[in-house]
Amino acid sequence: MRNFFIILFAKILNVILKIARKQGGNILGKIALKLNKNLLKDFKVNSPVIAVTATNGKTSTNNCISYTLKQAGFKVVSNSEGNNMETGIVSTLLKNCTLTGKIKADYICFEIDESYVPKIFSKFRLDTLVILNFFRDQLDRNGEVETLILKINEFLKTYEGNLILNNDDPNVSRLGLANPNNDNIYYYHVDKYKYATQELKEAGEGKFCPFCKTRLEYEFYQYSHIGKFHCPKCNFGENEIYKFAENIDLEKRSFDVSGITYKIPENSIYTVYNHLAVLCVCSIYNIDTEFVLKSFKDFSLNNGRSEKLEINGSNTFINLAKNPTGANVSLRILNEDSSNKDLLFVLNDNIADGFDVSWIWDINFDSLNNVERIITSGTRAYDIAIRIKTSGFDHTKIQAFPELDKAVDELYSTTNNKYVIANYTALQPTRNEILRKGKIL
Amino acid sequence: MKELKILYLYPDILELYGDFGNIQVLKYRLEKRGFSCIIDSYSIGDDEPNFNDYDIIFSGGGADNEQSILSKDLIQYKDKIKTAVKNGVFFLLICGSYQLFGKYYKDVDGNIIPGLEIFPYYTEAINDRKKRCIGNIVISANINGKEQKIIGFENHGGQTYDVFSPFGTVLYGNGNKFGDNKEGFFLDNVIATYLHGPLLSKNPELADYIISYCLNRKYGENVTLEKLDDSFENLCREQLLKHFTH
Ligand SMILES: [Zn+2]
Repeated sequence: MRNFFIILFAKILNVILKIARKQGGNILGKIALKLNKNLLKDFKVNSPVIAVTATNGKTSTNNCISYTLKQAGFKVVSNSEGNNMETGIVSTLLKNCTLTGKIKADYICFEIDESYVPKIFSKFRLDTLVILNFFRDQLDRNGEVETLILKINEFLKTYEGNLILNNDDPNVSRLGLANPNNDNIYYYHVDKYKYATQELKEAGEGKFCPFCKTRLEYEFYQYSHIGKFHCPKCNFGENEIYKFAENIDLEKRSFDVSGITYKIPENSIYTVYNHLAVLCVCSIYNIDTEFVLKSFKDFSLNNGRSEKLEINGSNTFINLAKNPTGANVSLRILNEDSSNKDLLFVLNDNIADGFDVSWIWDINFDSLNNVERIITSGTRAYDIAIRIKTSGFDHTKIQAFPELDKAVDELYSTTNNKYVIANYTALQPTRNEILRKGKIL
Repeated sequence: MKELKILYLYPDILELYGDFGNIQVLKYRLEKRGFSCIIDSYSIGDDEPNFNDYDIIFSGGGADNEQSILSKDLIQYKDKIKTAVKNGVFFLLICGSYQLFGKYYKDVDGNIIPGLEIFPYYTEAINDRKKRCIGNIVISANINGKEQKIIGFENHGGQTYDVFSPFGTVLYGNGNKFGDNKEGFFLDNVIATYLHGPLLSKNPELADYIISYCLNRKYGENVTLEKLDDSFENLCREQLLKHFTH
């Protein structure tokens, strides 16, 4: 009975918030969990629950899964705004349940914060868990990645549902061994792409075998520590592959799986991995390939965190980078474009960014391809300028402007292609400033 | 051409917080002045390096679980490293390596990771895993007889005790322990500190102190260093110092 009133109250509050044009975010969940901390257990769910977790790419991958399922005609409930902790999940469920707590949907799709997987799914149904990657974030880099993986591993020891794992990330792939009794493990693997390297090019995790501590051997690195690896001593990494992407062609923006060519909107190796994860989910649930093909063609996995604008005749590519891997992926895209370019890097150190900006030293600025100028901005404009200068880029071609408007003005003083990398709190202000500039020009 | 040789210890294990940037800064400042810079690395499984053959030995910080793997490996070179310190090879040790050169490190669970015992300090982690000294830090250190402000970022759970010769006095931040007024450990040819940043990227005068020390030692003369364009560094320092110490 108590839950009935909690749900009713949440629904009324939701209506009020809507009238006030406020995005509910986590508020509904926050209040409801205060009234009943085990509320998650009490929802009535009769549809498959699919969850995606990772350091990078969980929002867009989850949204792509939802989008594809909707294309196929299913009703999907999802936390598409990225509220991915317990309060956000509860908020989403409250908005989409009946007064008796029933969720009416064909599929429930969640992106989940890495640290909340055990907490949420010890109380809520889970049918399919997708794990994309684990990278160090700038906020907490002191071995927390390992602690996080161990927690998820502990949870997976008793989990028997579908587990879709990136076989090319040792930190993800190892989780397939958490429960030897689970027969529903699906590994995916991406074939070597044009810019893959023999040596590690960017900072990465997991250099040693988690089982026997032997140094892992790589056939190739795609980006960061993602690549084809195995342990020479215990054969860790040599799994049967469920879905394998090959003929990766980033210029044509396509890849093949089982003889079918998929077109995608992005030209980054990183999104090929996430698309392949979506494809695994769709295959497990027997979604017709026609919907997957269409969804991949239409739905951009970058989804707001990255976009292309045309400002005064200059192509402008804006990308969020909240950790070295995000920035390295953007720089890969920049280097794979051989035209003349200007780069703007905006670095803030507000609370939400983390005060420690030393992660920028894990970004690979070596041998930038046809970059004519680099402009830096943000509260730590000088730090990033020093970083880039030290990498060997001619320091007379670097200009630092802590004030964003000055930086953007300077950026558009040429018509070169523009690449913009901004960290968390810098992204929106940078985007707004560029759009403002676009209106003036 | 005059050259300096740097040995980077455990680059694949002690590589949190971009500490490798310190070597990049040294290399940059050497090459800009026409000196050459050779960087070798040593990690578990490699052939034994000749420590005395190097001008600078650098080592950074890593995660706790990796530190114990590495302590076992490092201890086999204890005597040779001790000799290199005595011979005047310059050691720049950040965070985890700072701790490893002391007597021991006691982790959160009470496990003792033995150190090289080259210096008499020791480090103990705080009982609470969540309590760490984290944040921007400014210290005042005496470099070449001149008090200088050194800027960095600290992030450590370990509390280091019995430091007889600290690197500097804390102006902003924690230092060797929570609320301590001393930071790091300093001898003429050893700087051991919790300061990330990377340390040398924001403190070019400190980088040049290390370079001068090594060139003078190796070539037995007073090498004068050509001035470099440090305008980004100076603006960065000005901005951060204004922010932290006012
Ligand atoms: Zn192994």
